[in-house]
Amino acid sequence: MAYHSSNSFRLIRAIAPTGLRRVVFAVLLVLSTPHLARGESPSAESLKSLEIYAGVPSSTGSMLQLRGADSQRQLIVTGHYASGKAKDLTRTVVFTTPEGGLLKIGPNGLVTPLKDGVGTLTASVPSSGAGPGPEAVSATIPVQVVGADKALPVNFPNQIAPIFTKAGCNSGGCHGKSGGQNGFRLSLLGFEPAEDYEHLVSESRGRRLFPAAPDHSLLLEKAISSVPHGGGKRLEADSADYRMLRRWIAQGMPYGNSTDPVVTRIEVFPKERVAALGAEQQLAVIAHYSDGSSEDATQSSLYEPNDKEMAKVDASGLVKLYQQPGDVGIMVRYQGKVAVFRATIPLGAEVNDLPPARNFIDSLVFKKLKQLGMPPSSVCDDPTFLRRVTIDIAGRLPTIEESTLFASDTSAEKRDRVIQRLLDSSEYAEYFANKWAALLRNKRNEATHKHGTYLFHDWIRESLLANKPYDVFVREVLAASGDIGRNPPVAWYRQVKNSTSQLEDTAQLFLGVRLQCAQCHHHPYERWSQQDYYSFSAFFSQVGRKPGSQPGEEMVFHKRGVAKATNKKNKEELRPAGLGNAPLELPPEQDPRNSLVDWMAASDNPFFAKSLVNRYWKHFFNRGLVDPEDDIRETNPPSNPELLDALASHFVASKYDLKELIRKLCGSTVYQLSSEPNEFNTNDKQNFSRYYPKRINAEVLYDAIHLITGAETKFDGLPEGTRAVQLPDNSFNASVYFLNVFGRPDSSSSCECERSQDASLAQSLHLLNAKDLQEKIAADKGRAASLAGDFKRDDETKIRELYLAAFSRQPDPLEMKVAIGHLEKKLPSKEGKPEETIPKRRAYEDVIWALLNTKEFLFNH
Amino acid sequence: MLTIHGQRHRFCDGVSRRNFLKVGALGLGGLNLAQLLQAESGSGIRRSHKSVIMIYLPGGPPHQDTFDLKMDAPLEIRGEFKPIPTRVPGIQVCELLPRIAAITDKLTLIRSISDAVDDHSDFMCMTGRTKRNQPPGGWPAFGSVVSRVLGAQDPSIPPFVGLEPTMQHRPYNASGPGYLGVSNRSFRPAGDGKSDMVLNGVTAERLADRRSLLTSFDTLRRELDSSGLMEGLDSFNQQAFGMLTSSKLLEALDFQKEDKRVIERFGKGDPRVHGDAAPMLTEQFLVARRLVEAGARCVTVAFGFWDYHGNNYQNARADLPLLDQGVSALVEDLHDRGLDKEVSVIVWGEFGRSPKINKDAGRDPWPRVSAALLACGGMKHGQVIGSTDRMGGEPADRPVQFGEVFATLYHNLGIDVSKVTLPDHSGRPQFLVDGQLPMKELI
Repeated sequence: MAYHSSNSFRLIRAIAPTGLRRVVFAVLLVLSTPHLARGESPSAESLKSLEIYAGVPSSTGSMLQLRGADSQRQLIVTGHYASGKAKDLTRTVVFTTPEGGLLKIGPNGLVTPLKDGVGTLTASVPSSGAGPGPEAVSATIPVQVVGADKALPVNFPNQIAPIFTKAGCNSGGCHGKSGGQNGFRLSLLGFEPAEDYEHLVSESRGRRLFPAAPDHSLLLEKAISSVPHGGGKRLEADSADYRMLRRWIAQGMPYGNSTDPVVTRIEVFPKERVAALGAEQQLAVIAHYSDGSSEDATQSSLYEPNDKEMAKVDASGLVKLYQQPGDVGIMVRYQGKVAVFRATIPLGAEVNDLPPARNFIDSLVFKKLKQLGMPPSSVCDDPTFLRRVTIDIAGRLPTIEESTLFASDTSAEKRDRVIQRLLDSSEYAEYFANKWAALLRNKRNEATHKHGTYLFHDWIRESLLANKPYDVFVREVLAASGDIGRNPPVAWYRQVKNSTSQLEDTAQLFLGVRLQCAQCHHHPYERWSQQDYYSFSAFFSQVGRKPGSQPGEEMVFHKRGVAKATNKKNKEELRPAGLGNAPLELPPEQDPRNSLVDWMAASDNPFFAKSLVNRYWKHFFNRGLVDPEDDIRETNPPSNPELLDALASHFVASKYDLKELIRKLCGSTVYQLSSEPNEFNTNDKQNFSRYYPKRINAEVLYDAIHLITGAETKFDGLPEGTRAVQLPDNSFNASVYFLNVFGRPDSSSSCECERSQDASLAQSLHLLNAKDLQEKIAADKGRAASLAGDFKRDDETKIRELYLAAFSRQPDPLEMKVAIGHLEKKLPSKEGKPEETIPKRRAYEDVIWALLNTKEFLFNH
Repeated sequence: MLTIHGQRHRFCDGVSRRNFLKVGALGLGGLNLAQLLQAESGSGIRRSHKSVIMIYLPGGPPHQDTFDLKMDAPLEIRGEFKPIPTRVPGIQVCELLPRIAAITDKLTLIRSISDAVDDHSDFMCMTGRTKRNQPPGGWPAFGSVVSRVLGAQDPSIPPFVGLEPTMQHRPYNASGPGYLGVSNRSFRPAGDGKSDMVLNGVTAERLADRRSLLTSFDTLRRELDSSGLMEGLDSFNQQAFGMLTSSKLLEALDFQKEDKRVIERFGKGDPRVHGDAAPMLTEQFLVARRLVEAGARCVTVAFGFWDYHGNNYQNARADLPLLDQGVSALVEDLHDRGLDKEVSVIVWGEFGRSPKINKDAGRDPWPRVSAALLACGGMKHGQVIGSTDRMGGEPADRPVQFGEVFATLYHNLGIDVSKVTLPDHSGRPQFLVDGQLPMKELI
């Protein structure tokens, strides 16, 4: 038996209605020659060899083994080309099955057993037939089928529960939500098969399952929607899953033995692949069991791309890539285990004259861009760099003097020197203290909190100014004890009250791991279980509190005792353990929080350094290598793993030196690339082939507006001239509408996402028309008034000054013409009065207003 | 990321084409108005006026003096007011609500809201959740969710408009966009941004001058930003200019543009701020109707001050007639304009009031049971849901949760609460309600 599936055949199958399909197919077979399907001519490149994957190869080599009536194997046939490229041909090759009808093979390469025996399976790409063309290429694999007629007892956790997951029955929206749906409850994504078994077999007076007439079981009738089902039809009556459920019921609903093997991990094939735009790739999933055996789980696994704009996957594991170059990860889930397939989709342009690489960041980014065939934009000009780096490091615009000096500096190291100068300034510490204070929850809920929030903010700022090593900084927060007045980081414990939020904040903020899900059930996208969650929470089990010296304050201390926590699920008592680590036996006098930081700051900790470098990468590059920046997990892979590793190693080797990290980031050519796209990288969102512009955040923007208008800031209770980036806590958001509407965070979560960088109508209205801003622009002591009153300099000079202040660059001739044109504008005459020139002050107000509302001003680009 | 469960599975049903569209449009991260509109116009989806008007009664009105009179209770509990029969035989309301009584066939009264908390705040009424144990970022208001899930219907009308002023008692303004962020906050023509809506110190001509200057200066190309943010900003700027010159939104906010007879029907409200809460502007009910007609998806109004710790009857005699006129006018008007299937109306406060009259002739807060009025929205009306015991102190049957009412409102907007989730700040997908389903009695 041979099955030939061509691309054109599949296309027709996909678009033609059932009735028409056969007819159209027949016509097409006549018209189309097999090797010209959809223009993907195989002769374009020379195919050297084929490789058949049929599960994990044993010591004796690859073999297609099928054991038992239920077994199946997803074959994957890879074509290797002379160019070194590899391509999935599973659906285009011709399969020749072994003699004797041992097995059946579907169009997608899925093999199921028919009869016991041994033989050989061949996959081949035929020669093009007529005329000279490439030779036929084929590959073979030995086949062994054992027990094709033996239906083994069904195992509930391994064979039945996954069906519910695949069909979506136990998803969070249906029976998987706590409390179930319409009286029938399943554990979320099948993490608790024993409970599911109980609910199916024993609950509801046993009416869900009917061994005497399995097809009349409510479970099956609902699943195929032959009785009304709120969730609709989930299974086809002739599907393999249905037959499996039916057989399990007919067998009297066996659960399986406690000694039965359990899934220990899953593996996806291929793990990674470089694929063309629009290409397809069949995946195969192998589940490894505790007894060393393995099974094909391709049909039972769930698939999800991490970027839905780049790829989609169907239920059988066929990945379809879109026309978007870059990297995409496909998350594969089966029985609580996860694996990832990574596809790299090159654009395929020539990458020849790269800008010079200044450090390892550049080498690794450029390596990636070469691989992708995506040429980077050129290096940005000096004014753009100065504005960009001053905003990113010091949280302010460059002064006119800085811009002028920088323009006249001709030395080769001038950019590095600016970076160093900014890092040495107190403004660096202020700007990053503003960032960290929000993440470290420096929130004022009550008036009495002010004492603590001011002290904590000051402590953060001082720590950054002194460039305290990051591990020490984190230790002083997490292991803080004492009174806020003497040890300000204790303030963190004031907002982060209980051990649950302490562990969740710690994981998300310092490790980039979102553990929240694992509080109530196994993490759906991760390997973390409730065991891991509560073991981690034990680090915070000995945090004691008593009233502090000031009203509204508390002292935090280590309560002597053995650190432990209880797993909410099974009531097991747990000792503290770092994620993925063995539990620690700590003596009662030892503060477990110190042991936690010991584990975190160890040079081989897989999360700590990565999480910070990724967070800082996002700060400067507007997108994390892993994005969101605090969601690092196997199933959300970095866009450039080598770079993330290299940055983390560098950070560890530098002894957690934050300024050194920033020096490296900003000193790289990649950071200094222009944001102007070239003809290839307009749509690039993750490979850093150009600089991605970001809206300036609320505080910096507020300060910048004051700088340009020349108005003084004034915040209640703070000295005049205090800038918004220097604000000690969140309490000013309520009184300053600007900060509020532009999304300054309220320090109520440890997520950077609390800072909203979105646009809104209220923002636009405010910036265009707020009375407050209008007054600043028109202030008597403001810049417009002083420019208008300055008769020593000409208008051109003044416009240059404005452009330097707002954009750190000179206006181009056209812009100058527009501005001068406005300054000399004639106002329409009124009631017979002669025509007048616009009043100077008013004209300058208008120019300043317009500059403030440009995207060039609002964005760091 | 907006998630609609069921999508990824093999058999997907119950998801409308519209929802499907939104997944594509919003999956890009954040509100991208331009893309959304493009997608909407591209798909040829008919615009609907499906929307919700929420009337919040700050302070918590006395349920037993409005919609649930307890004539079997002793005098010191049942109080001074008499019930009157209504359009629907068997349903009675307070004698001070004759206009509402005349249209009970178009209304549903819920007499057994059972899960209020003892907190003077709009939080429950706006979010359906309690303030305790909030997820990272905090619970979003209903309107913010609608804004996030459905987006703007008309580019010049914000999807979520809050007509309430910033009330003096801060917790009356407690609800916000939560983990959905400021871009999904209600647009507040009477709130902090109020003064931004009218030109400040510049004339319209000068604004036009400035605008042309800005156009010349604004040379940074949108293409620099592939996230859609610059495009969004440009589009909001255009909207804002539109509002500042002459616009649909301002038009909608100006009830004077309405037919005289309609204005008369809504009556003259009381602009004085009552207590530490809100004025009683029945005109705002009309504005709310104009807004949803123009394309808003959720409009909230705060009405009066109902925290009757003293002088319960005197206060009720002053306040109820205005409520009666406003609510009845709104419901009748929605019917007259054929919007009764499209626009849902909910009227309620954060809790009920104590059966016992206190020493100051007032009633104290009573979270154990309260009442709500629902109208229009294509729901089944002319009914009472639930009841209280003889004293009006506890639900007697069919206790109703806030979440059920919200599930019903989402249902009316075509949002399936069993499928849609939105991620909080920890990335956890959060359902819009805590497992409650739309109320069978209503849908």
